[in-house]
Amino acid sequence: MKNVRIWFKKDKECRYISHLDLNRVMLRAVYRAKLPIWYTEGFNPHPFITFPLPLSLGFRGEAESMDVRFLDENFDLSNVAYILNPFLPEGIRVYSATESKMKPGDIAFAKFSAKLYSDNLTANELKTELCELMLLDEYLVPKKTKSGIKDINVSEYLKLIEIASDTDTLNINVTLPAGSSNNVNIQLLIRALESYVKADVYYDITRIGVFNKEMCPFE
Amino acid sequence: MYPKEVEKILLKVQKPGKYTGGELNAVIKNKSEVDLRFAFCFPDTYEVGMSHLGMKILYSQFNSVPYIWCERVFAPWIDMEEQMIKHNIPLYALESGDALNEFDFIGFTLQYELSYTNVLNMLRLGNVPVLSKDRTELKNIVVAGGACASNPEPLADFIDIFFIGEGEEVDLEVMELFRACRKNGESKQEFLEKAARIEGVYVPALYDVSYNDDGTIKEFTPKNGAPAKISKRIIMDLDSSFFPESFVVPNVEIVHDRAVSEIFRGCIRGCRFCQAGFMNRPVREKSVDTISKQCFDLCKNTGYDEISLSSLSSSDYSQIVPLLTKLTEWTDEEKVSLSLPSLRVDGFTDEIMSKLKTVRKAGLTFAPEAGTQRLRDAINKNVREDELLETCATAFNGGWTNVKLYFMTGLPTETDEDLEGIANLGQAVVNTFYKCENRAKGRGVNVTCSASSFIPKPFTPFQWEAQDDIPEIKRKQMVVKSAIKTKKITFNYHDAATSFLEGVFARGDRKLCNVLLKASEKGFHFDGWNDCFSIDKWLELFDECGVDPLFYTARKRSFDEILPWDFIDYGVNKSFLKSECLKAYESKTTPNCRENCSACGAAKYKGGVCIEKRKNMV
Repeated sequence: MKNVRIWFKKDKECRYISHLDLNRVMLRAVYRAKLPIWYTEGFNPHPFITFPLPLSLGFRGEAESMDVRFLDENFDLSNVAYILNPFLPEGIRVYSATESKMKPGDIAFAKFSAKLYSDNLTANELKTELCELMLLDEYLVPKKTKSGIKDINVSEYLKLIEIASDTDTLNINVTLPAGSSNNVNIQLLIRALESYVKADVYYDITRIGVFNKEMCPFE
Repeated sequence: MYPKEVEKILLKVQKPGKYTGGELNAVIKNKSEVDLRFAFCFPDTYEVGMSHLGMKILYSQFNSVPYIWCERVFAPWIDMEEQMIKHNIPLYALESGDALNEFDFIGFTLQYELSYTNVLNMLRLGNVPVLSKDRTELKNIVVAGGACASNPEPLADFIDIFFIGEGEEVDLEVMELFRACRKNGESKQEFLEKAARIEGVYVPALYDVSYNDDGTIKEFTPKNGAPAKISKRIIMDLDSSFFPESFVVPNVEIVHDRAVSEIFRGCIRGCRFCQAGFMNRPVREKSVDTISKQCFDLCKNTGYDEISLSSLSSSDYSQIVPLLTKLTEWTDEEKVSLSLPSLRVDGFTDEIMSKLKTVRKAGLTFAPEAGTQRLRDAINKNVREDELLETCATAFNGGWTNVKLYFMTGLPTETDEDLEGIANLGQAVVNTFYKCENRAKGRGVNVTCSASSFIPKPFTPFQWEAQDDIPEIKRKQMVVKSAIKTKKITFNYHDAATSFLEGVFARGDRKLCNVLLKASEKGFHFDGWNDCFSIDKWLELFDECGVDPLFYTARKRSFDEILPWDFIDYGVNKSFLKSECLKAYESKTTPNCRENCSACGAAKYKGGVCIEKRKNMV
């Protein structure tokens, strides 16, 4: 048996499907493509698939991954994309498959780019507001946790934002802690901006990639 | 595809994947290369509509015609509707993202009466005038079909064309006519008059209705050459009729997320409350080979690993064991599971059970419908208590511990003794479990008794009957509830108020059009959902419109009254329905179509079970 990581992009209409739905879409595709992978051996055998770092609903993903176990060690992995793509909706495109080198637990950071816009402010005004916000030493936003709603200070993370451009939209990049131990959702930062400018801020977020604690790309 | 403006609001609503399209097997065509655009509208949510087999068949069939592009439209859930109105985004189709008012045809499938307000609401959201007379041009032709088209009158002012019966042929004939009419520059009126001459087409604008002082119908008169009687359309050979090789596979979870194949249409039984059983006569079966091939193709093209064999009464399929044998030849290998809904208690044999058990063990559901033998005979259910208990014993010995029993309350001739019979029957099933030697050890039994409220429907022997009012429905539910003495029986019952409203529209007439119009102006929608339905608002509205809803539900009709749907011919004679009704009063049963022909009238289609050789004749 060989542990394989299948890499794909999640975009277009498919960015609006949840992690659970993505799981179902992948199960059907893997089943239909008859990939020689390990099935669970319970009462309802189904292909065994896991996702190292689930993507939030609404985000685009440039380098998403799914882990499977190949029964046939000699299976040519360069064929996987070609085999799987016809069975996937347009918005999900597999582009490669590699042997897993890192463990999902090694993931420590995720890099995002985001386009922000608002009905009430121009991109330039939004930029000015964001710059002011980034200078503050404390800015609290409510976050839903298992033990109820907690106020979180996001100023430390706001300072990580790089502003790329402000044409039609305000474009930013940011690398945030990710993974099972400490995960910061970029939407928290956008909510901070929303409450700071007191207007709806719409967003289009792409997760560009995930990294380990040495900032090496996850592979 | 979705319009660009929608991006803003998608992250503000639940399950945005319902509103984006982009699913596997969705059909995308080039607008400039098609002549006719059809918006197939399901007047409920995406999850419900995407589960509907009829829509899957017609969607694929329409799209198999090069000049037609058929797209899907669903009712947006209340959070999405609110956002769409706020941002001025019209209701759009999922394939092109174009607004509803850009379509040549806007077709609704009418599966239940409580979706009528959604039909009007969807037209409004799509910027289409709701009244037929306000749509004057030869575009935005609003058509409707499906089970509820059997009594089209409550929607007569809104719909241009109703399709009566099965749609596979008539829909395309009407679209072909539309194409020709538009080419010749004809008016909407000219098109409708020509369409009315096609069998199975009802154009309500071509008929006048007058009423007696007591509110009953005096006369129903056709004009401009429209036929006085509309005959249903029916597909006699299911093997050669169109069936899709693939379904659109939703990205988000829907209600019935699996492959489905019909095994036959119609039902041999003739249960007297059942509209589908009478409307779809005669029974026409699909062959074992066709079903197996269709299921195989569907699984291959969708990735589903579950097949549901659909019909009104699966165990009445004459080749059920050969079918299951043929299917399990490949389903075991492919890790595909089979489910067989709508089983009758007298059809659940060891052999069927062993085939189904190979893959998945779900609960078992049977529908005795009534608690006592006398009432079961009156409704012609033809199920005996000993058969039910025997079947349950088979299931319990086979390891099942969950049984669901479906009943109805409010049936004609029902007494409190019949209601208590529901509890007694449930108890007898519980007792049977503990008598079974091979029952699952260490586990208790759970019997769920569900009671819906009987609603008299057109084209059934009970179409003349009175329906219980809300307090009486509630009282009867309590009679059953208090007769249940064990915690091993779970008793569920249907909301009395929604059954009442369903009853109003099921046997309504054109006077209800005004009520529906007002309802849609007030923003009524999703009446089938507890989140939205309010009986108080409806009663207020009926009052405001000067319409007494009890006229439609609580009134027992005389056999010679002109009923609003009398002009439609579903193949079963009115005189037969009347004789069945009279037999019900005497608790006399009628044999099923395979035992003996009862001369209902459906033999005129010269096919299906009507020309099958009967065992007792061989």
